[in-house]
Amino acid sequence: MSIELELVAKTYGEGTTAVHALKETTVSIPNGQFAVILGPSGSGKTTLLNLIGSIDSPTAGTVRVGGVDVGALDAEAKTVFRRSSVGFVFQFFNLIPTLTALENVELAAELTANEASARAHRALEQVGLGDRLDHFPGQLSGGEQQRVAIARALSKQTPLLLCDEPTGELDFETGRLILDLLHRLNREEGKTILVVTHNAVIGDMADRVIRLHSGEVADDHLNRQPVAAGELNW
Amino acid sequence: MTTLHRKLLRDARRQRAQFLAIAVTVFLGVTVYGATYDSFRNLEASYGETATEFRFANLFVAGGDPIGFAEEAAAIDGVESVELRSVGDAPFRLGDHKLLGRIVSVPAAGQPTVNQVKVLDGTYLDAAQPSGVLVEEHLADEFALTPGDALDVHDGDGWITVDVAGVVSSPEYIWPARTRQDLLTSPDDFGVIFASPETASRLLSIPPNEVVVYYSDGDVNAALTAELTTLARDSGAVETYTREEQASNAALEQDLQGFEEMSLFFPILFLAAASMAAYVMINRLVYAQRPQIGILLAEGYTRRQIRRHYLGYGVLPALAGAIPGVVAGAVLARLITGWYIGIISVPTKVIEFRPTTAIIGLLVGLFVALAASLAPARTASRMVPAEVMRGNTPTGRGRLSIPERLLPPLRRLPIRWRMAMRGVERSPRRTLYTILGIVLSLMLVLVSWGMIDTVRHIVDRQFFDIQREDARVYFTAPVDTDRVAALTEVPGVDRAEPSLEVPVSVTANGDQYGTSLIILEADTDMHAFYDGNTEFDLSDDGVVAGRALSGLLDIEVGDFVSLTAPDLGVSVAAPVVAFVDEPMGTLVYASRPAATAFAGGELAATSALVQFTADADRAEIRQQLSELPEVAAFRDAKALYDMLQDYMGLFYGFVGVMLVFGAAMAFALIFNAMSVNIAERKREVATLMAEGMDKGTISRLITSENLVVALIGIPPGLVVGYWMSSLAMGSFATDLFRFDLFMQWTTLVWSAVAMLAVALISQWPGLRAVRRLDIARIAKERSA
Repeated sequence: MSIELELVAKTYGEGTTAVHALKETTVSIPNGQFAVILGPSGSGKTTLLNLIGSIDSPTAGTVRVGGVDVGALDAEAKTVFRRSSVGFVFQFFNLIPTLTALENVELAAELTANEASARAHRALEQVGLGDRLDHFPGQLSGGEQQRVAIARALSKQTPLLLCDEPTGELDFETGRLILDLLHRLNREEGKTILVVTHNAVIGDMADRVIRLHSGEVADDHLNRQPVAAGELNW
Repeated sequence: MTTLHRKLLRDARRQRAQFLAIAVTVFLGVTVYGATYDSFRNLEASYGETATEFRFANLFVAGGDPIGFAEEAAAIDGVESVELRSVGDAPFRLGDHKLLGRIVSVPAAGQPTVNQVKVLDGTYLDAAQPSGVLVEEHLADEFALTPGDALDVHDGDGWITVDVAGVVSSPEYIWPARTRQDLLTSPDDFGVIFASPETASRLLSIPPNEVVVYYSDGDVNAALTAELTTLARDSGAVETYTREEQASNAALEQDLQGFEEMSLFFPILFLAAASMAAYVMINRLVYAQRPQIGILLAEGYTRRQIRRHYLGYGVLPALAGAIPGVVAGAVLARLITGWYIGIISVPTKVIEFRPTTAIIGLLVGLFVALAASLAPARTASRMVPAEVMRGNTPTGRGRLSIPERLLPPLRRLPIRWRMAMRGVERSPRRTLYTILGIVLSLMLVLVSWGMIDTVRHIVDRQFFDIQREDARVYFTAPVDTDRVAALTEVPGVDRAEPSLEVPVSVTANGDQYGTSLIILEADTDMHAFYDGNTEFDLSDDGVVAGRALSGLLDIEVGDFVSLTAPDLGVSVAAPVVAFVDEPMGTLVYASRPAATAFAGGELAATSALVQFTADADRAEIRQQLSELPEVAAFRDAKALYDMLQDYMGLFYGFVGVMLVFGAAMAFALIFNAMSVNIAERKREVATLMAEGMDKGTISRLITSENLVVALIGIPPGLVVGYWMSSLAMGSFATDLFRFDLFMQWTTLVWSAVAMLAVALISQWPGLRAVRRLDIARIAKERSA
């Protein structure tokens, strides 16, 4: 799923307290690309991700995802868009503690089609948690919880996966496993994946690295020789 | 103001709705406490002052040898005053209106030493004009009697006109009850006048028959009462009763007791609810502020400072609710007492601001909130900074719900249903408190509604099921059955039956009880007798006694009781053949054949019970019956029923206020619990919304989860509420009134529905917040 941002700006607040999170940013990400968005805190990387995922609206400019101007959609249409097109992975997993791993994934899978249970099973198998289906989040490690969160995003079978600091809460080894999983999903299923991180090393495994600074694109380059996630070191 | 205080105030502003909910609940509790307790104290003081100021008798002794008793009683230590007087009933006539009257003798030369009257209009009796009488204010009000007016009294031979010298109130007739067994009288069918002994003797044709005794300082003195009671019995007295048992006073005491019970029961409910609401909110606050607490501790704030800071989250809304609650309670107490005293015309009014009540209200309000905030504050002060500053939100262990564990097929229910079931156990203490809150709210609603149902049922049962007459006609002199039957010649009168009401003293096992013996036809159509719900007929073999006599005299069916009727000059032993369940009064009934056997001869009727035809004109019938020369008074059962309905209007108003308060309490409590519930899962909700779940689905998800908690709370709430209603009504039961709880099934259904509705409505603010959720911000928050 392709992504095109044209002169997109996002300002929070008004007047003297206004914060310009993004300033007339223009970015284009083709379908199937694995892109990493880097930048320090407050650089606008999460804002960029949220605008693409349509959980936030731009103050100016156009955000097109799969040819759809998501900024122009009303709230209901945005919901439908997210349901069918976007999977999210957050830093803090955001699982529902009273539901098992399988049920957490089923809950999302039910949003898009029938056979939710079968798709949830498949998604959890895909992330290597086929043997942890009936475990509650409290019984899973951080890495396992993040994999459940990824399975949740996968179960909807959306073409776009947006990951906000997916390794932020994980130790090095677990973080590499999660990145490897995302990499495989990109390579094997052709999903467009955007990973927001402040960890520059992760950029080494991406097809594309966009570096933001103070709400502007400071650098945008293709990575000619992405390395495997297993080779990353930080 | 310290920075921590500023933080407290700003947090309160941010969560103003939850703080307000706690403050409102505390306010209601403190207000209801202040209003009802001070009203109770004011009324108690008013009755007490009235008793002292007007030297209200401590003991009443009727019959026997009153002169001898009066002389002996006056010589006993502790007796301050003794007054010998004549008390008797005689018909009154005002224009065309005939009613039952009572004549009480008072000295013409000046106020009696016991049971003085307060002159409201005109003058006290003048010894030079002995024909003048004092009219009790209820009668004066009903017929607009003023000094200079006249009324007729039937002396047994004919109508005698007496002049009104003054209008008075009396501690004996604050509540104008005819007898203890006939507490509910309408002023248009019963009135009292006070006359000089000469006039009373002329009108009643009886010698002094009653002695009233006033103790030193009017104090209650059980030993003196016991001594005087023994003396009275030895002198042949047929009835002895204390000030507390005196008809008017007993009725007022019943009300007083109601106020006292309300002043404890309702505030406890409100304050318990406030405590739970405060606990739920503060606990959540501490949980959400764990990183802040970690930083404060790390920076050097002591654990005591932290503890005190979070105790402040309880103190702040408690003060915000308790201070205006104290003021509102004091104002309401003043209004209620003034209004109430005005309605029942208490001669001496005591309306005071009582600082003790205000201080207790304030302290209890504070204590309740402090108790609620203690556990969360201690948790906050014991946090380990390094641990909580990491900010990881414990996810909880997560497990199958109890129903799923007990009934495995439930695990195949749709996930959303399973979520709702498991959400109940997610925070067991909060769930428990929410359930308790619903139980408390239902208690409040059912106790209030139960009162309405019960009183309505009692009144209907008494006036339709039990007393089936449309009216009672009193004769100027005893009449035979033919004369009674002749009443049916009046158009509109369908049936008429003779009746005789005789004051009796019932004695058994050394205990005595003064009541009335009602003599009716054996197969009477005018009165129904129930043992529980089973109807039975009068027997010719003995008497039927009111159920309370079983306990008062320790008797069972088959036991003999001694019946002494001074008016008939008869004292007989009669077996009790049955106990009758009646909500009002404790009377003794006998069939006419049985009474004839007891008396050793036929007894003439002093009154008749009549039923009207379906299309009868009640006013016309009253008019025609009253015109009959042998008719002394007419008592319309419908008028009495209507009067009660008017009183019920006030009662409904009060209970209605309680229902509104109950709903407000339920709303505040459920709102707080629901708000916390929603706040706690904001991040989950934001994630689901980010994944594309629509707001309607999310709202239904949260609503169903919260409603499950409400549904769990409803059955125990109904059970406990019913039980509490039964206790509350039972606590009002005396020999004068029986309050067996009657609750319509629809009351239970509507209460449950109302509670669900409140639970639904109370979610609205939380759900509105969900709809406005900033998905982007919340989903990324470390602990939402």
